[in-house]
Parts: sequence; structure tokens; C-alpha cells
Amino acid sequence: MELESVRNTFLIEANELLVEMEKALLELEGSDDKAELINVMFRGAHTIKGSAGLIGLDRVVHFTHKVESVLERLRQNELKISEGLIGVMLNCKDHIAELVQLSCASEEELPAAIITAGDLLHDALAPYLAITPPPAPKSANATTGAPALDCGIGPYNADASVGSSSWHISLRFGRDVLRDGMDPLSFINYLKRYGEIEYLTTLYACLPDIEDMNPESCYLGFEITFRSDFTKQEIEDVFEFLRESCVIRIIPPHSAAPTYMSLIDELTEDSWRLGEILVKSGAITQRELDEALRKQQGEPEREKPCIGDILVKEGVVHREVVEAAVDKQAKLRKPASEEGKTIRVDAVKLDHLINLVGELVISSGGIRQHANMVKDSALSKSSMLMSRLVNDIREIAMKMRMVPIAATFNRFQRLVHDSSREMGKNIELVIEGGETELDRTMIEKLTDPLTHIVRNSVDHGIEPPQERLAAGKPAKGTITLDAYHDSGSIIIAISDDGRGLNAEKIWQKAIKVGMVDPDKRPPDKDLYKLIFEPGFSTAEAVTNLSGRGVGMDVVRRNIEVMRGFVQIDTVQGQSTTMLIHLPLTLSIIDGFMVGIRGAFYIIPLDMVVKCFILTEERRMMIESRGYFDFRGKVIPYIDLAGVFNTNGGARHSDNIVVVQYAGQSVAFAVDRLFGDVQVVIKTLGKVYKEVEGIAGATILGDGTVAMILDVPGIIKTVKNSTINV
Amino acid sequence: MAKRIMIIDDSATLREVVKATLLKAGYEVLEAVDGKDALKKIAGQKINLIVCDVNMPNMDGITFLKEIKQQTAHKFVPIIMLTTESQETKKQEGKAAGAKAWVVKPFKPETMLAAVEKLILP
Repeated sequence: MELESVRNTFLIEANELLVEMEKALLELEGSDDKAELINVMFRGAHTIKGSAGLIGLDRVVHFTHKVESVLERLRQNELKISEGLIGVMLNCKDHIAELVQLSCASEEELPAAIITAGDLLHDALAPYLAITPPPAPKSANATTGAPALDCGIGPYNADASVGSSSWHISLRFGRDVLRDGMDPLSFINYLKRYGEIEYLTTLYACLPDIEDMNPESCYLGFEITFRSDFTKQEIEDVFEFLRESCVIRIIPPHSAAPTYMSLIDELTEDSWRLGEILVKSGAITQRELDEALRKQQGEPEREKPCIGDILVKEGVVHREVVEAAVDKQAKLRKPASEEGKTIRVDAVKLDHLINLVGELVISSGGIRQHANMVKDSALSKSSMLMSRLVNDIREIAMKMRMVPIAATFNRFQRLVHDSSREMGKNIELVIEGGETELDRTMIEKLTDPLTHIVRNSVDHGIEPPQERLAAGKPAKGTITLDAYHDSGSIIIAISDDGRGLNAEKIWQKAIKVGMVDPDKRPPDKDLYKLIFEPGFSTAEAVTNLSGRGVGMDVVRRNIEVMRGFVQIDTVQGQSTTMLIHLPLTLSIIDGFMVGIRGAFYIIPLDMVVKCFILTEERRMMIESRGYFDFRGKVIPYIDLAGVFNTNGGARHSDNIVVVQYAGQSVAFAVDRLFGDVQVVIKTLGKVYKEVEGIAGATILGDGTVAMILDVPGIIKTVKNSTINV
Repeated sequence: MAKRIMIIDDSATLREVVKATLLKAGYEVLEAVDGKDALKKIAGQKINLIVCDVNMPNMDGITFLKEIKQQTAHKFVPIIMLTTESQETKKQEGKAAGAKAWVVKPFKPETMLAAVEKLILP
């Protein structure tokens, strides 16, 4: 099951982070750079909490949140590091490790001993936390406040169950229950046999004034938080006699969703309808299904909603459970023969294959070169054929590692769904370009940055419904995830129609934190980039989701590791779009080889637009004007021999290659054009990492080294300098 | 003080089974053979719950139900009606008269006990 693999990924990730955290903790006392160590710990806790929330490990989220809060105080210098604190933190780290391990290993409720241990640690952390008034219970706020005069059960409010491992039961008694010989108290009392009532709110908002009140009528309602190991059907049966005269809604604990999902997956029977699958798995009861079916019947014929949608709207089942059931249904319909069409291959083997193909490309290039040199036509012919085959193999090998991004995108439905409700916002996640394929290794590295960006959109980007309406926008916010190809790179766009970035706020914050010189305000475009700095956040309140200023720096770092970059496009009050630019592949590219003063350079072929012969008069013209006239457009002209300080300045370049990257064109002057070659990218050693204009190197068939030009880097340099070469 | 439950049914066997179950669970049990008998025995008594059959000679369960709903002392007493699957019209009539808790015969003793405990006040 997919969830299983996500859990494994999480387990590995969390363990790595925990090791880092422990290391940082132990180094903390004697270290000079405490801030960075605290940052490491904080980011660790933050990431673990976030990922755990994403896959529904509520216990981990609950515990880690407090740890994170203490670390945040350390980060803000509100707390001093003490031996005692380090001790507690080490224990907390161990406890998180244990929680993660247990939650990933089985979906059963954790042993009581662990929960008690967690509570004790929370108590130990308490002195290090700021004193804040305890939050009022959510259910009480939601229902006993002034607007609760509506005596029905409001629209499904996921707050009730999100982040908890408890059931939530909403009861609204009919006026006649007492006359029918039924007392609410007896049912509540009986409910106790099925578990523990953690919290109960009595709703009396419907109670009329004393003179209008009929003492024989019942005006009460209850909201009950309930911990139980019984099934939904069993809990519902407690209220069997109330079914006709009362409104009952039972929301399963959020932590139960994965259980239902795996139950659904394990069902063996076939030819079921969606409702039947859900009832069979215990996610909903027959009564709930019947009620939903009645509702469906009541709708006009043409716009009949799906039964799954009705159930989710009624709040009786989590959306992901319905989705699992829909998947199951689809699987049942599909003939079994489909199964044999795919095989699972260890990713390590695939990586190894691709490395070998890389070597093969290089050596076949060597043979081809040699065949041309000895002028043996038979050898030339067969080496050509071989090159072509090697090329095909290369393409297939690369494709094997490409996976559509849809699966990654879809994971965010849950995040947006849960967190938007938690925030009291109405947000829809639109997914486009899910079929776009990315290298598997990149997809793995993308999850983290995407999570951060999407969360930021939910948390800070999209405004609460009232604010949106006031601004003349629809109450429902939209976050769009999109992926597409653009001139040789892949672009992942995350956009929201929220409030946009506030340049002024960022500026003020930057001054406050001391990141900038208050007298020199850069243009807004550059200001936005500050959000990628560590510790930068303009959010006023820290929420469960984001706002601690961790994240965006992680985003930037993760993207840069993949040779990509992030671009921000924002209109205040209207929208924010984050564009993640990524290279198509990480290892083999089609290149265009040029020679400059006897050395070989490779330009990524997809960036090459056109080549010209550089005649003497053309050069004179260019040198006098300082630019190149390309199809009526003025573009910068760069003599690469000058850039790389190649010896032999007396010679002039003979050719021009026009390249384009991210909508920007540049003309490069070079000596010779060799045409297209396939090259395997070899990263340069640490020492050469900072060399400008060079992205990597490759070995040609005859063993010569050729440098791969960093076209984006060169364009950036040209844009930044005022020199018009 | 033990809670007092009245069982009204013309079948002695049924009364016996229910009585044994309830006694074992710590309740005090009164018995009546039909509606009329029950009304007589209930007068002036404090009753915590009634289990009542529908089909009985002399006075059937529905009539008994309507009668007892008129009595101030007993109108709020929880009532469990016993029925068989085939008595749908009777059931509708009973529901209209205010009987919401129904147990279908034949039932297991523990089903009866669960129904009682859902309804009886602690």
C-alpha cells in the first residue's frame, strides 16, 4: 500500500533528523555557534512534526509541537541553555524516536505507558514554556457561543476530530424524548461502558426563556469527545432508540482513517458499490448510508451528487477513506491481468544502470571518433549504428527513472484539506500538469520544499473567508499546483489567490532582524527574496502549521542542491506564485560542443537557438554597437574567449551561438562548432565548485575533458554587470 | 436502592427469562400478565422502567402505552416494547403513541439487558 511506503520514508527521514538533533544537543554546551545548533534542532523538530501531520501520526505531532515551542524560545533567546534543559531535551528526542518507531510499525493505539511517559515529559517541558492561558476547548467555543442558536448540527467541522485519536459525537435531542420515556442522561451513562468520555459540552442555546419553556420538553444537545476502541456501528448502537427522534453524528478519530483505508484495501469481495465497501470496512454505518442515499434521491436528477461527496459533507467519513474506497472500486473493476504489466525494481539498481549507460555513452563516442579517424567505412557504419542504439538505451534508461509528479501533488490534498479546516478557511487545491514526469531522485527532494510552500499558502497566503469577501474575492481560496516544461527545464508552480506578499512588512521585519541596511531599500522584487533567509517570518502568530520562519530557507537550500532556483511572483492583495525551476535531468544531457582556443565546451542543446558565422564586418558592427541584433531583437553579446581568459587573444572568434534560457537570449562568440554530443555530467570537485560560468565537466570519447557551460549563471552575471561586452 | 422494572407479557416463559436476567443484573422485578393487570399493579408504585409486549389479551400493549402516558406519575417512565417482525402496523401505532424503544422477538437475554441499561437512569 502506498501509505506504507510513505511511512517508511518518514521513518528514515525522522531517524536522520533525530540523529542530527541529538548531535546538536550534545555539542550545544561547549559550542560557540549555539544559534546554528539550535536551528538544526528546531528544523529537525519542525520537519518531523510537519511530516507526521501529513501522514496522520497525531501522537507524534502532539508531542513534538511542545518540543518545538521550547526550541523556538531558545531560538528567540527567550531561554538560556542549561544542563537541565539539555537533559530534558535528550529525553524528548528519545521519546520522539520511540513514538515515530511505534506509530510507523503498527496502526494500533500506542501503549498507555508511552502516552504517560509523553505526558510526564510535557510536564518537564512546561517550566521552559512561556506562560499562556490554556486554550478553551474548541468544541465549547464552536457551539456554546452566541451564534449557536441554530440547534442543528452545523456543517462538518473537521476541527472536531483533526489531530486527535478520539471519536467525536454530536447529539441533538428531539423535543419529545422525555415524553417518550427517554432521558439523555441514561444514554450518556451507558456510553461510558464503551470507552472514556474525555470531554462533554452541554448545549443549551436552544433553551427558551422560562415563560416559553415546556418543562416536559428536552432542549439539550451534547458534544462529546470520546475515546473508544469499539467500532462505529457499536457506538452508534448505543443510541439506537434515539435514532428517530434525535440528530446523531459520529465522527471517527482522525487516526482511524488509515485503519479504514487498509481495511478497505484488504477486502476480498468483488462487485460492490461504494457505499457497501464503506459499510463493510466499518467506516460508515448502514444508517448513515441509508440517510445519504435518501439525500441523494432528494436531489434533482441532473445534478445528483456522488454518494461519497454526500458522506464527506455530512462529516460521517474522512475524504481520504472515500478516496481509498473509490480506488478499491476501480481496482475491482479492472481485470486482474493488469497486474503483471509492471514490476518493482530496486531504485539502487536503476541508478547503477544509469551510471553504466553513462559510461557506455562515453565509450561509444570514443569508438565512433576512432572509426572516423581510421577511415574504415565498415567500422564507421557499425559504430554509427551502435551509437544510435546506445542513444536509445540511454533514453529508455532515463525514462525508467522518470515518474509523474501527480502522486506527489496528490499528497497535498490531505494537507490542504486538514489544515485549511483547522484554520477555519475554505481552500480548494487544484492540481494541473500531474502527468509531467520528473526524475525520481528529484521528486524525493521536492516533497519537503513543496510542503513548506503549500503550508505557507494555506496559513499566510489565503485569507479567512470574511476577509476574502470583504476584499471582493470568492470566500473559497484556491491553491494551484502545476508542473510543466519550459525551455529545457521543468517548472513547478505553486500559486494561491491569497493576500500576496507584503513588501512593506518584509522590509520592516528585515530592518528589525538586522538583515538589511535601513537606509538602502532595494526594489520590492529583491525584498521578496529575503523570505528565503533563515529565521525570517512576518507572520504574527505561530500556528501549528507555519510562521516560525523555518522552511523557506530549507526550501531554497533543497532546490539549489538540485541545480534549480525559486522565483517569486506576487501581486499584493491578489496572488502569490512560487516558481521552482529545475533542470530536466540530473545526469546525462544532450549537449552542443563548441571549441574556444583549443579547449572544448558544452552548451546544453535545448538552450541553443541558432548559430551564425561571425564575419569580419559583422564583428566590427557588433563591437561598435556593443550588442547583437537577433531577429530584430537586441541581445547581449559575449565573447567567451574573453570570459574564460583563454590565451591567444590575437585570434578572433569565428562563430556565434545564440542561446536562450528562461526567456533571456544571449549571443556567445566561439571559435569552432562541433555539433551535438551526448554528455554525462560529472560534477566538479569541491575546489572548483565556485568557478563562475561552469556547471560541470564531461569526458569525451577520446578521454579529453570538456567543460559544461553554466548558461543561467553567465546570463545572471551579464544582467548584474553593467558591462556591455 | 435497586431499580424497579415491570415486565408485562402473557407468556410465563418469557417473563421468567427476562426476570432471571434482570434479577441477575441487580434489578428488582415486578410482573404483570396483561395491560389491565399492569395498570392495577403499577398504581401508587415507583417504577423505573417497563418492558411491555404488544399482543396480549384483555388490554394490549398499545392501549396500555396510551393509558400510562396519561398518568402524571408514570408518563416519563422509559418503556421497551416487545414485538415480532410481522407487526409493522402495530409498531407504527406504538411509535405514534410515544414508544421509541423496540426489541424484536425472539431476542437474546443480553439484548434485553443492553436495551434496559441504555434507557434506565443511573
